Amino acid sequence: MPAKKRTVRIGNWYKSDDEKVHFTRKRKAPRPAKLRKIVPGQVLILLSGRFQGKRVVFLKQLKSGLLLVTGPFKINGVPLKRVNSAYVIPTSTKVDVTGVNANQIDDDYFKRTQAQRRKNEQGFWAKRGELTAEQQTAEKTRLDGKRNTQKSVDAALITAIKKTQLLKQYLGARFTIGKTTRPHELVF
Amino acid sequence: MVLGKFVEVGRVVKINYGPQEGKLATIIEILNDKRVLIDGPTTGVQRQVIPIRRLTLTKFNLKGATRGARTGVITKAIKKSDPFAQYQNTIAAKKVAKKALRAKLTDFDRFRVMILRKRRSALLSTQLKVLRKNNAGGKAAAQAKGGNKKK
Repeated sequence: MPAKKRTVRIGNWYKSDDEKVHFTRKRKAPRPAKLRKIVPGQVLILLSGRFQGKRVVFLKQLKSGLLLVTGPFKINGVPLKRVNSAYVIPTSTKVDVTGVNANQIDDDYFKRTQAQRRKNEQGFWAKRGELTAEQQTAEKTRLDGKRNTQKSVDAALITAIKKTQLLKQYLGARFTIGKTTRPHELVF
Repeated sequence: MVLGKFVEVGRVVKINYGPQEGKLATIIEILNDKRVLIDGPTTGVQRQVIPIRRLTLTKFNLKGATRGARTGVITKAIKKSDPFAQYQNTIAAKKVAKKALRAKLTDFDRFRVMILRKRRSALLSTQLKVLRKNNAGGKAAAQAKGGNKKK
């Protein structure tokens, strides 16, 4: 059987040398990052951002691939937060999260609201008073809702944490590197 | 300085280089001034020829080891008197064990060690203060007697 000849179609358009080819994503939606061996309840060390060095408890992986973590807030000031798993060191310490219910939290929980976007638009000089009265109350109820969700998620966690000695203090402390620490030799 | 540790049949040695690093064995036969035959059936060392350079001599001897003894004979001798267990009680062996343990500590373990060391040092310092106070009491009395105005 005669082999099929591969024909290359040459079109009418040739790219000029100085035309940049920008990166185009072939997939429509990004693939969620594959989770390393990180288990719900595992203590993670955050490596970047405002809370770098803080030890937090991992709750679950969200649809976007980011990890949902919480301080708990009362212990180290880290709220319910999304975190990229690349900027995290998983430790071998695990907390019992059987009583913790984070099912209702997903990526929409972290979406910026209209009021927040407006505030960001106006920038540094935006004052709370520039929101209408109903927007202000809406903001207030939204923030109260967030506080309540935080409390309800953390409640079961904190009781579980208190069972292990020194675990609360451990989560409250930051991870640091001193002069003599050799990070490549550390077992986490 | 009297030489105490000899390369001899029955000498317990520690391998300090190669894939078997850290393991103990006994010298079974001396081949020449540079190589010996060793065997460590209970410590996981296969009967083998090894250069003396790769060994550290310990102060222990395996009683009942004869020249060129087979592994079975060695195992029996170890059952009667276990010099390997005696070696584990020495300070050198304990230091190695401590180092290995410290290398395995997890982040949480390291934190706990830090807290406990702080607590211990706090206890020590309070005890030291008490001792100093008692001593100082004695000193003040002596100074008062001597008419020293300084307290």
